Amino acid sequence: MKLTRRKLALVLTSGVALAQTPSTPPAIPDDLLQEARKRNQANAAALAGEQIPMATEPAFQFKV
Amino acid sequence: MAAIRSDVFFATIPELNARLKAKEFTAEELARSFADRLAQLGPRYNALALPLNQEAIRAAKEVDKELKRERFRGPLQGVPYGVKDLLSFAGQPTTWGAKPYAGQVFDYNATVIEKLAGVGAVLTGKLAMVELAGGGGYRLPAASLTGPGLNPWDRTRWSGGSSSGSAAAVAAGLVPFAIGSETSGSIVTPASFCGVTALRPTYGLVSRHGAMALSWTLDKLGPFAHTAEDCGLILQVIAGADGKDPGSAGKSFYYTPQYARPMKDLRIGFAPVDYAEWAEPSARPAFEAALGVLKASGAQLVETKFPRFPYGAALSTILAAEQASIFEPLIASGKVNELADPAQIAGLKASLEVPAKDYLKAMRLRRLMQEAIVRIFGEVDALVAPGRAGPASKVDQPLDRSVSPSAAAPKDPGFRAIIQAGNLAGLPALVLPCGFADGLPVALQVVGAPYSENTLLAVGREFQGRTDWHKRRPPGS
Repeated sequence: MKLTRRKLALVLTSGVALAQTPSTPPAIPDDLLQEARKRNQANAAALAGEQIPMATEPAFQFKV
Repeated sequence: MAAIRSDVFFATIPELNARLKAKEFTAEELARSFADRLAQLGPRYNALALPLNQEAIRAAKEVDKELKRERFRGPLQGVPYGVKDLLSFAGQPTTWGAKPYAGQVFDYNATVIEKLAGVGAVLTGKLAMVELAGGGGYRLPAASLTGPGLNPWDRTRWSGGSSSGSAAAVAAGLVPFAIGSETSGSIVTPASFCGVTALRPTYGLVSRHGAMALSWTLDKLGPFAHTAEDCGLILQVIAGADGKDPGSAGKSFYYTPQYARPMKDLRIGFAPVDYAEWAEPSARPAFEAALGVLKASGAQLVETKFPRFPYGAALSTILAAEQASIFEPLIASGKVNELADPAQIAGLKASLEVPAKDYLKAMRLRRLMQEAIVRIFGEVDALVAPGRAGPASKVDQPLDRSVSPSAAAPKDPGFRAIIQAGNLAGLPALVLPCGFADGLPVALQVVGAPYSENTLLAVGREFQGRTDWHKRRPPGS
């Protein structure tokens, strides 16, 4: 298997891809970042309301 | 070259295997037909990330040599398939659906690709996906390097995400099966919207080596196909221990329909409010009828309460913290700004600020959730819920737009959070197309205890033996 120029070009220059992704990075409105932060804070608040026994360890182990 | 009839494009894996063995066509002819079809029609649905025609034909020729010597490797031998473009295939671009990674090439194969190659399955292409599997919290169906995933049933509708191309390609008969991934809903949602059968395996059952990491403790790989039986045959191949995946459970899976318990012995939990109130009105008749099919099969439907926890908050916190660590270099470099969806960019940036105490609180709470959910399976063998509350949304509609903003939410949550809860607890889920609403597919999801895939697949086989929703084809296909 090898990467041909044609395939790389397909990925890098596909018309659809170019249509969907602006050539210059879009400016992220500050309100979007604030909204994302608020969502994280709301999640933290929802978790803060939960009582957890002190002996409860994080769920790092998933093997049953 | 034998002409491949159009019904072959929607054939099941056992059917394709039987026809290859009967020499109706060669593996090369089959691979050429599917690869050409994927290359030709994949862009119609924005489902194709990378065609692999030459590689497919080369692999299929090897299969033909084996078949000529009657060296049989199992039902997937010679069967074409596609993979979500978050899986590495040596020497070829692996874009993760995102512009910052458009030129990324790995020099090794993902374990699932290796395993499928080992049984003679033929990779014909890589399939489109939502950029970075949507971890930042995308708001637009167009959040992808290849454009919005278009639904084969109606191209004005979204195919779902993040495994958009995997679901659409199977629905449109462009591949007999595909591999996708789920962190929180990325298999269940597109399978439901596109009307295909799909399986989210138990966490750790399928190796993720070679797959883009979004959340180490949530990511899973699973199959999209035409039937539950197909999903079982695929899972048997791709499951198994892998020292290259730290999350590997070290378990194998053997698909054993011959040992399935009779349906009359199965107790299936459900919440009536899911069907009567949470489901969109247009989808309720299909969901009600699907429950009727399960009842008619002899299964005992048992009204079940789901333990109450802040599943969404826990999942979002865990996902945010893990993706922040994984994509910190992308964010720090500024290349994150090249993503297509501003909401996703903002979400990734904000995720860097999640405190460790919140992540650990979520992970500790997760343990209590897992224990409470597993206790349910002492009472029932499986849970059933709508895959999604209704059919696919319009492709130009932001995903955070409420369908009926004026409608009051039901007080009983039912199994509303089953996608988040199931992923937090690492549970398997089988998606079964169960009818149509507004001319678009809707589906049930059947969720079980860890490693109960054979039970879920038995329910799926029974359901699909009594219905033909999984055999329906999109118009024009």
